[in-house]
Amino acid sequence: MTLVSAFLVHGSPLPQLCPDVPNWQRFRQAMQQAGAALRASRPDVVLLYSTQWFAVLDEIWLTRRRSEDIHVDENWHEFGEMAYDLYSDVSLANACIEACRAKGVNARGADYQGFPIDTGTIVASTALSVGSEALPLVVASNNLYDNAEATEKLAAIAVACAAEQGKRVAVVGVGGLSGSLFTKPIEAQDDRIVHAEEDAWNRKVLALIEAGDVDALREVLPAYAAEARVDMGFKHFHWLLGALGGRFQGATVHHYGALYGSGAAVVEFNP
Amino acid sequence: MANGEIISGFLAPHPPHILYAENPPQNEPRSQGGWEQLRWAYERARASVEALKPDVLLVHSPHWITSVGHHFIGVEHLAGRSVDPIFPNLFRFDYSIKFDVELAEACCEEGRKAGLQTKMMRNPRFRVDYGTITALHMIRPQWDIPVVSISANNTPYYLSMEEGQVEMDLLGKATREAIAKSGKRAVLLASNTLSHWHFHQEPEPPEDMTQEHPQSQLGYQWDMRMIELMRRGEMNEVFRLLPQFIDEAFAEVKSGAFTWMHAAMQYPQLAAELHGYGTVIGTGNAVMEWNLLKAGLARAAAEAA
Ligand SMILES: [Fe+2]
Repeated sequence: MTLVSAFLVHGSPLPQLCPDVPNWQRFRQAMQQAGAALRASRPDVVLLYSTQWFAVLDEIWLTRRRSEDIHVDENWHEFGEMAYDLYSDVSLANACIEACRAKGVNARGADYQGFPIDTGTIVASTALSVGSEALPLVVASNNLYDNAEATEKLAAIAVACAAEQGKRVAVVGVGGLSGSLFTKPIEAQDDRIVHAEEDAWNRKVLALIEAGDVDALREVLPAYAAEARVDMGFKHFHWLLGALGGRFQGATVHHYGALYGSGAAVVEFNP
Repeated sequence: MANGEIISGFLAPHPPHILYAENPPQNEPRSQGGWEQLRWAYERARASVEALKPDVLLVHSPHWITSVGHHFIGVEHLAGRSVDPIFPNLFRFDYSIKFDVELAEACCEEGRKAGLQTKMMRNPRFRVDYGTITALHMIRPQWDIPVVSISANNTPYYLSMEEGQVEMDLLGKATREAIAKSGKRAVLLASNTLSHWHFHQEPEPPEDMTQEHPQSQLGYQWDMRMIELMRRGEMNEVFRLLPQFIDEAFAEVKSGAFTWMHAAMQYPQLAAELHGYGTVIGTGNAVMEWNLLKAGLARAAAEAA
């Protein structure tokens, strides 16, 4: 079996940058639980897609063997920085690029010192404790012109490449749920989903994910994406769906809550 | 000390390609040139800046996006490598920038007084975005004038274009106030592309100029219409058309820099000097200047006379 585990996680740096905020602490605990489950599934590599890594021309894949730096978020700089040291599975990333091209998807690698790895990729990798030399990443960018279908196709290509190389993969989709957020400073302990309707939408969709009801999900996701201003139209979920071959048994929501007003969750899928 | 003023404002677009094409020592990738029309446009703009001798350059870039408020760099000096996430093959630039923190703090404070959310960026490890760097390098490659760097608050995209433009108008007025109280002679840089429809595949090599052309005829026509109005100084008409221009030409001015700059200059009905126009990977870019000193709209002009 190629795909051994799958997770949907948020990409906000707040829980890591502000470890003393009780309601954000629960995200850190959930990430630790998810990370433990991920590693227990004994993958050889983690396929990761983050909504915050934008591409507009080709589909870009991280092809740098080791990316090491200190990251300052452009919005949350006041809370400090995040150090990271991430390894990529370069041979699998290159295979993904080749396979994309063979399927008519323009793709290329990014192997540059100082390349600005996005906040979501750093948050997910560090919080889940993946991206080490022993458990490297393959990171795919979010091409802003790709729709849900193209994103599913991308993930399927990546899993097929891993299968060809005989590798076991964990797959991670990094992004938020409802997208409205507070645009004025709030006290962290008062954080909540900005709009009750968006909260209801998040809960409804998470319940369908828990139930593994893909047909119902496909039915409601377009409305969810539009009405709850979902982060990048929920393409990170489609990344997971593509990797999972379009179906899964169910899922466990380790935590759901608000991050500066937007919806966020840590979800473990049962493939 | 009072009597500071804005002496000129530039539309200063930031496609990293034009910096790449110049092969400055700070940029790692090497090019065989290209986009000369735009680079010569910047040469003319540089000559103007040289003659103006400003004390400070203020730049508003759409590639430092903040969701909570308008942010200002509040660190004296930042250095590091900036790599363009979209065009890492073209832009890997080692920067070293001196910031005018005093004026940045004054802008931040005036913005707050005007009812805006504002914040100083104090993290010494912050990485400056490629839009800010490209505009600054193209206009002043000597890097010898202190800078005020302003983020693009996401309001025009998060709420609506109208609400966003209102924010940028307030930000511009606050910037004007801060400059007046500073006693400094300031040049403003609105770092925006005009029509923003672009190719979906990069030519190989990227500087192959046989491939460069407007991506969209509609976008090109919009650019010419807006530039012509600006050249005639019909700025009220430019701002009346701005929402439609943004919609139909996917114009990057939506991010607010252009409105911020004109609000700061009190929307002069002044004919702009077009230093040049060119497309980059299909997008429309104009280097334009509203020189308030030359037009006699800055007090320094009267003093010199
Ligand atoms: Fe831009």
